[in-house]
Amino acid sequence: MYTLHAITKQYRTSSSTVTALDGIDLEVANGEFLAIQGRTGSGKTTLLQILGAMDRPTSGQVRLAGQDLGALSAHELTELRAASIAFVFQTFNLIPTLTAVENVESALVPLASLGPGRWATAADALAAVGLADRAHHLPSQLSGGQQQRVGIARALVKQPRVLLADEPTGNLDTDTRDEIIGLLERLWRERSLTLVLVTHDQAIADRAQRVISMSGGRL
Amino acid sequence: MQTTTAHEAVRRRGSGPVAFFLAYLRGELRRRWRQSLLMAAGLAVGVGLVMTVTAAAAGVGEAQAAVLHSLYGIGTDVTVTTAPPHSPASGKGIFSPGKTPQHIDELSAATGLGLLPASAVESVSRLKNVAAAAGGLSLTDTVFNIPSAAQAAQSGSLTRPGSFSVGGVDVAHLGLGPISSGTIVAGRPFAARDAAADVAVVDADYARAHGLSVARTVTVAGRAFRVIGLIGQAQGAPDVYIPLARAQAIGSFHGKSGVNGKITTIYVAAASSADVPAVQAEIARILPSATVTSSGNMASKVSGALATAASLTTDLGRWLAVAVLIASFAIASLLTSASVARRVRELGTLKALGWKSRRIVAQIMAEAAVTGLAGAAIGLAIGFAGAALITGLSPTLPATVAANPGSAPAQGLTITGGTLHQTTLPGATRTVAVPMSAPIHPTVVVITVLLALGGALIAGAFGAWRATRLSPVRALSQLG
Repeated sequence: MYTLHAITKQYRTSSSTVTALDGIDLEVANGEFLAIQGRTGSGKTTLLQILGAMDRPTSGQVRLAGQDLGALSAHELTELRAASIAFVFQTFNLIPTLTAVENVESALVPLASLGPGRWATAADALAAVGLADRAHHLPSQLSGGQQQRVGIARALVKQPRVLLADEPTGNLDTDTRDEIIGLLERLWRERSLTLVLVTHDQAIADRAQRVISMSGGRL
Repeated sequence: MQTTTAHEAVRRRGSGPVAFFLAYLRGELRRRWRQSLLMAAGLAVGVGLVMTVTAAAAGVGEAQAAVLHSLYGIGTDVTVTTAPPHSPASGKGIFSPGKTPQHIDELSAATGLGLLPASAVESVSRLKNVAAAAGGLSLTDTVFNIPSAAQAAQSGSLTRPGSFSVGGVDVAHLGLGPISSGTIVAGRPFAARDAAADVAVVDADYARAHGLSVARTVTVAGRAFRVIGLIGQAQGAPDVYIPLARAQAIGSFHGKSGVNGKITTIYVAAASSADVPAVQAEIARILPSATVTSSGNMASKVSGALATAASLTTDLGRWLAVAVLIASFAIASLLTSASVARRVRELGTLKALGWKSRRIVAQIMAEAAVTGLAGAAIGLAIGFAGAALITGLSPTLPATVAANPGSAPAQGLTITGGTLHQTTLPGATRTVAVPMSAPIHPTVVVITVLLALGGALIAGAFGAWRATRLSPVRALSQLG
């Protein structure tokens, strides 16, 4: 699915240049469950952002399903994210003024082709994570675990090829953590997703097919 | 446990792109209702002030027009007058107590106006671009009783004279002159057959104050004129109208009785408003000694509190309104930008989900538009309230116009305390009290709504511009 070659990412500050990624070479197979571990500041979130076409590397090449992401315009990258790449965030990132089902529907807004049927699609996605009876609740009326389920439903409603999760259980208690990871794992198997998950939790990393570690921007 | 029933209920309820758009819009405005209300209120104050000032300016303009219409008529584009000669009056007109009491009822040309030949009306009417011309006589009927010398010696003072204004009207041209701005409220107007008759049309307020009505008589220059109609008109118009030929026969000028073949004013209607300057120039060419004043010039000759109010609303009022409007736009823009800054996480998430910038811009602009409409509604309420307050208080403002509008009012000299003073002669000016109002025209309402909406959309554009510059990475990197 992914081929990364000599990926470097540098940020310029007012006084210096920070190297977040330094010569990363990585391949992720189609349908693989990959965990990326590392301490804070190791570059794992930056790597995830590049995999998710949210940022461009300073140098190097990123290929997704054979397509060079560097050759795409910003508009084309946006369309790629809309159709093929999904995210699950540590802080859930739900829109606070939308209900659960509306939050899931928000992922379908860029996909105009679904039109009026998208409400039913969103309802189905919510049911798949066990929250059909919370469809009309606002995020403030849901627990942390329930909010992350909505986040997962929002990520998967558009049938993406890739699911990128940045510390998806970072804000959850142990029991809920297991529940969420179990849900992700089940959905990964059922839908043959390519799942890349960033975590500092060894227990979660052990559930992946492959674990890579990062330190100082390197693998 | 997942219930199929709940799932099916959610699916069946359905939605659509428009419903999602409105749900997001409604939710955001509800979440930030205080800020939205503050922004709407700011816009409302700005547009409400503009509306009130515009209404006040319109009211002042209408008041000035009413003053001028009462003096010169609605259809008059140009008036022609002349200054009186500088030579002092003859001995006639100065009355002294005699052996017996005297009752004086004299109809004389209004102070400040000279006489023009009536034939000038025909000359003017033949000019190119002149639609119509009519002559008129502006007279004042002064009535007073002079006691005998013996009575005067006892009392030591003369009684105050009474007077009323009389207009000699060309009954063949009732569409010109001050009579054209009035409305017959009882009886009938002049007809062609009245040209040589002793008939009069009386101002309705004057008639009420003096117990006059249709079919009764009013005395002008000692002669009885039968009242054929009552006319409702603004202050400043003549109290009594009589046919021009009769006014010429019984009027006097500088003590000399009879002003046959003479008029004090020519009222001219141009073929179109664009022709007024040319007509004005042509009349000045054929009557070089006359004062030729257009309706535009006349407006600038109105002085007094009404003119001061006009100046205030036009200059200070409008600049104040513009300044407040700009300030409200600026505040709205700052509030919107700040709002976008607080929504960095949310907007970054939407970009990560694949939302295009234009979709996010549409959402922000829609929120701004709704706020703008709220501001327009509140602004209209403020504007209507302000205008209603002005109309309700209905302050009466005096307006002064020279009898000869193109020249300064006639001046006289008085000696007071051994010093010579120049003063305006009594009757050389006319002062009318005009009640102020603040009418709101539909155009102003439309402009108010557009201003509020425009201001909100400008503010929204600032916020939207900021949102489009957000990259999902920079936005998400601010999170935990």
